[in-house]
Amino acid sequence: MAARRLTRRAFLATAAAGATAGPSVFTPARAQSFNWKRFQGKDLFLMLTKHPFVDVLEKNIPEFESLSGMKVKWETLPEIQARQKMTVEMTANSGGIDAFFTSLHVEKKRFWKAGWYHPLNKFLQDTTLTSPDFDWNDFSPGARAGVTQPDGSISALAAFIDANVFFYRKDLFEPKNLTPPKTLSDLEPLVQKLHAPPSTYGIVLRGLKNANATQYPSILFPMGGTYLKDGKAALDSKEQVAAIDLYSKLLRQYGPPGVVNFNWYECSASFMQGQVAIYMDGVNFASQFEDAAKSKVVGKVGYAVLPAGPGGHFSPIYITGMAVNAQSRNKEASYLFCQWATNKANAVRELMAGVGVGRTSTWDSPEVKAKPKMPADWYQAYQASLKIGRQGLPEIVGVTEYRDIIGVAIQKAIEGAPPAQVLAQAQKDFQDMLNRTER
Amino acid sequence: MRISSRGLGRWAHRHAQWLFPAPAVLLVAVIIVYPIFYTGWMSLQEWFASSLTAPHFIGLANYRKIAIADARFREAVGRTIYFTIVAVGAETILGLAMALLFNREFWGRGLLRTLAILPMVATPTAIGLVFVMMYHPSLGVANYLLSVVGLSPWRWTYSSQTALYALALVDVWQWTPLIMLIALAGLASLPREPYEAAHLDGASTLRAFWHITLPLLRPALVVAVLFRAIDALKTFDIIFVMTQGGPANASETINILLFNQAFSYFNMGYASSMAVALFAVVMGASLILIKVRRSVTW
Repeated sequence: MAARRLTRRAFLATAAAGATAGPSVFTPARAQSFNWKRFQGKDLFLMLTKHPFVDVLEKNIPEFESLSGMKVKWETLPEIQARQKMTVEMTANSGGIDAFFTSLHVEKKRFWKAGWYHPLNKFLQDTTLTSPDFDWNDFSPGARAGVTQPDGSISALAAFIDANVFFYRKDLFEPKNLTPPKTLSDLEPLVQKLHAPPSTYGIVLRGLKNANATQYPSILFPMGGTYLKDGKAALDSKEQVAAIDLYSKLLRQYGPPGVVNFNWYECSASFMQGQVAIYMDGVNFASQFEDAAKSKVVGKVGYAVLPAGPGGHFSPIYITGMAVNAQSRNKEASYLFCQWATNKANAVRELMAGVGVGRTSTWDSPEVKAKPKMPADWYQAYQASLKIGRQGLPEIVGVTEYRDIIGVAIQKAIEGAPPAQVLAQAQKDFQDMLNRTER
Repeated sequence: MRISSRGLGRWAHRHAQWLFPAPAVLLVAVIIVYPIFYTGWMSLQEWFASSLTAPHFIGLANYRKIAIADARFREAVGRTIYFTIVAVGAETILGLAMALLFNREFWGRGLLRTLAILPMVATPTAIGLVFVMMYHPSLGVANYLLSVVGLSPWRWTYSSQTALYALALVDVWQWTPLIMLIALAGLASLPREPYEAAHLDGASTLRAFWHITLPLLRPALVVAVLFRAIDALKTFDIIFVMTQGGPANASETINILLFNQAFSYFNMGYASSMAVALFAVVMGASLILIKVRRSVTW
């Protein structure tokens, strides 16, 4: 009797969640059989990261508490501090963190090799732990690949997917009859036409080391470059030289002053102040462009897919996820939270707030189509980019060290050093690091 | 029962000389001595902060690497010392000048002195965030102020040529008052007689400053410089917040590099050996300065 009552209550809660998300994404009749209250009364502690996805998620955590009957406490720190805290907690084997938000593009192999992710494969197959409407196959292939390790173990559930896209000022393009570039070879002539300093600079991209490593592949991939060839460093290939040459030339000749030390903050500030015609970066920054309190270019920004190149058409993508801590004493209960946080209803909420997710069903959700927060071309550019998505950073243990190595090379090139020379040094450092960490 | 408690009291009485300091000694042992030895021990290991693989003893290999193989570390050492000399040098000159100014009687002195020491109270991280906005090459107020007085804009922290100086400027802004305070205390305690004698002998103010004030103030100044030098060698917050060591590695000091090695690259053993090296640099600088202070003859 008690079990039956719980089931009904769980059903009501899920149905309520379903009602807010729209009937098409929820199947209450099947959800009824799933028991969310299995771990009622437990306390969970989450380590979250300051992130647009988390901002939306945090608001809805009370809903999970009433759905599951568990108490959830959490701490939200900036990414670097969160990683530090994770390191301290994990090396001390404290077990104090049950689940955490993880930046897979940086942490995936590092945390996996350290044994910090609890593999979720068995949980996903267990129908008493995974709600029938969770639908693993709803995640895009890129999102599924992004959370899966070389040995097939699933380390996290994909939460947010960022893709690099092309932002441009429609009000500057239209009078000159310009359109977003189809190929890389169109890019520089286009930037040149728009470059009119000091009122308008042609382009801005991240210059600051480490940060720039996530934007560099927007040029590198279409040039045909890769990070590794047969497991060895491939930073001195001719495609790499061409890519770093173009990236640094664009910034040196057409970028705002000081761009060599610009992180996304300075880049998007310049763009929102109307100082720059073209900006390529993560698609999620767009929500600030359309915020009249922060931006002078509201309604003037166009969104497009990155240009293609001789090596193909790609969009570098970056995935974050919700992971269960391998040291947690409440692994199954924590998994319930991760599952809820990345379910369809929450994915729709994220997308409506302008935060991209890896679930294919959400893009066609009537809810999103009825009340779009962002302009139509934003959704189009985002979806098209996911289709040509490729993991933006090498899947290695030493991602951060790689980012610093290539980042320094890019900064030196922007300040005028010859591309082949800076890449020769980077190649050596990168191979040294691989020898140390990838054994 | 009475006997045993009296016995305990007598025992405690007999051993009071080490029983009373014991809690303090224990605290120091746990939070200072143990971490130092642990860092020393870790510096002989290779460990990537993994909970699957334990630290692996590699002897002095980390030290060999920082001594001969790691150009990035060598550059960081040079940069750390250069930053310290530039920042502390400017602070000492400015701080001394301010102390001489505030040592005179004038209207509003108290208020101005209070205002002058305010930067010391602020949090370095917050200051870093504010300065990074002020330094923005096209949106920042720093270049606007330069343009008002007719100068061309600078790149501040946004160029590898100027980043270290722009960071030193923040340090100077914040810590000059500390040198001023110590110098001011030193000035207040100076005897009057030598000045009267010098005045009677016809010495100018400048000569009196050079031959009387400065030598007498030297012990106080050395203490101030020592404090600041130790701090400047270890500067972390403003650099981390403002440039993260960039552009390229133009502002990467030992502390920033060792943070990266430990918390970004997870090379715990290697980072520990850098921490030990930094400790040696700070210790060395302190010993030199203390020696300078001892050599003062009254």
